[in-house]
Amino acid sequence: MTPLLEIDQLSISFPHRDGPTALAVDGVSLTISPGELVALVGESGCGKSHTGLAMLRLLPAAAELGENSVIRFDGTDLARLSDAEVRRYRGARIAMVFQDPMASLNPVMRVGDQISEAIRAHAAVTSAVARARAVELLAEVGLADPRSAVDAWPHQLSGGMRQRVMLAIALAAEPDLLVADEPTTALDVTVQAQILELIDALRQRRRMAVLLITHDLGVVAGRADRVMVMYAGRIVESATTAELFAAPRHPYTRGLFASIPRLDADGSRLVPITGTVPPPDRWPSGCRFHPRCPLAESRCGTEAPGLVATPTGHAAACWITAGSGS
Amino acid sequence: MTRATRCAVVLLALLLGLALIGPWLAPDPLDQPDLLGGALLAPSAAHWLGTDQFSRDVFARLAAGARISLGIAGGAIAIATLLGTAIGLLAGGARGRVADGLRRLIDLILGLPRLVVLLVLIAGLGTLTPATLALVLGATGWPAIARLVRGETLRLRETGYVEAARALGASPRRTLWQHILPGAAAPALVAAALGVADVILLEAGLSFIGLGIQPPAPTWGGMILEARDHIAAAPWLLLAPGTALVAATITATLLGDGLRRRLLPELR
Repeated sequence: MTPLLEIDQLSISFPHRDGPTALAVDGVSLTISPGELVALVGESGCGKSHTGLAMLRLLPAAAELGENSVIRFDGTDLARLSDAEVRRYRGARIAMVFQDPMASLNPVMRVGDQISEAIRAHAAVTSAVARARAVELLAEVGLADPRSAVDAWPHQLSGGMRQRVMLAIALAAEPDLLVADEPTTALDVTVQAQILELIDALRQRRRMAVLLITHDLGVVAGRADRVMVMYAGRIVESATTAELFAAPRHPYTRGLFASIPRLDADGSRLVPITGTVPPPDRWPSGCRFHPRCPLAESRCGTEAPGLVATPTGHAAACWITAGSGS
Repeated sequence: MTRATRCAVVLLALLLGLALIGPWLAPDPLDQPDLLGGALLAPSAAHWLGTDQFSRDVFARLAAGARISLGIAGGAIAIATLLGTAIGLLAGGARGRVADGLRRLIDLILGLPRLVVLLVLIAGLGTLTPATLALVLGATGWPAIARLVRGETLRLRETGYVEAARALGASPRRTLWQHILPGAAAPALVAAALGVADVILLEAGLSFIGLGIQPPAPTWGGMILEARDHIAAAPWLLLAPGTALVAATITATLLGDGLRRRLLPELR
């Protein structure tokens, strides 16, 4: 199957006048097929959100896209389009849902008007048609009383309801790809599960691809088809969800699993990853994880390992565990 | 509504009543001296607030002056708010040279002493009608509102819902109009209400130094100016317009405060 989205060598840098350039994202490549749910996992500051924003060319003005970066969506390189041309893709082909549903809805507009706005931004329909469609969408995202919710103000809704409204807005123009940037981080744990359930149900019903950006491996389990783990601006491991959870290959991924509390564990203590994530303007040389890595050897500090895949497509970038370059 | 806001509403009703039905109630026709009664009469049943040195009824002048003074203040603030909101929105929403130019223009005008600018404009215009005075006051009053709206626009441009709107394909113009203006308009309205007090005092000040609406047309500032010479013999000449001025200023300030409490709930 030809991929819907193909990102190749995506680099995002923040030039600084009197300091080193911060390379927030460094040579990230990934593909998403139609209807696929891909998760991008990593800590704060690893570049996962900037990767998501780059797809819609929504990066802050100070950010620079690398010269070789390609963001090919349905055959078109979005990195080469003008702002006006990109706008035809935003919402219509690629929609985005953000982390904080409290901040993502305009507090002085009724919910229905905000959905109608998204519908009418991409389709020439009357306001009555858009409103009827808004009610349908609210029903589809599982709001109990869509007919009254359509006239509600954002402050009258709970966090979970607001995120459902955000999803309704994102679905308004029937996009092929939904980029969900930490869609559940601001929600209660029980609501988190419902929202993830909903995203998964929506993508299966609509054959819509989803890029789920999260810092929570638990969010990924059981829903994503494939997982990419990012560390310090690079993808360090990429595999199907089953393979990654069964046998993580990169020491960073293993460290993440070791620091998750488990219900079935025998009461042994959690093992945190030592140290902290380095800032983007001071990435370590070689493998960027080597200062925190329990397995690091001398070459890890000088040469950066490339991604090496097993025959099943389980790729990792590590000299020790994946034998990168050997 | 707080007690202060309720007081302000009552005061506003009194002031509007004075302006709207006062001239109709006044015992003397405007500017027709009561020559039989005489000049500088103390308040009485015939002349509720007494008469001035030209035997004119002070209440009639106060009521007619309310129309002029409050009308000028309202007009000036309306002009300044519309102009300031439009320019501030553009200065905050645009990028590059337009934004820079507007920001500098706002800073430049705010840097000049307003009274001096007004004196130059009024000297250039010659005779003033209430409409031209409102225009001049509005034209010099917008930068304060524009600076506020520009700041709000810059702040709102970074909010999650504006980013979300952009992510869903809204054009810059649509974002500015639909998502930023309603948020920026509330503080502009509050600033406008609070600014009414300034304009009332400014107009009275201009009339007091003889540069506002010219006599015999009655304005509160002009009445205070004329009362100055008779302050010992007829203090009511000064007290009537002075009290009205204070009442109008307090009303505008309290209403602005009430509006702020209602429109900007984050300040509660």
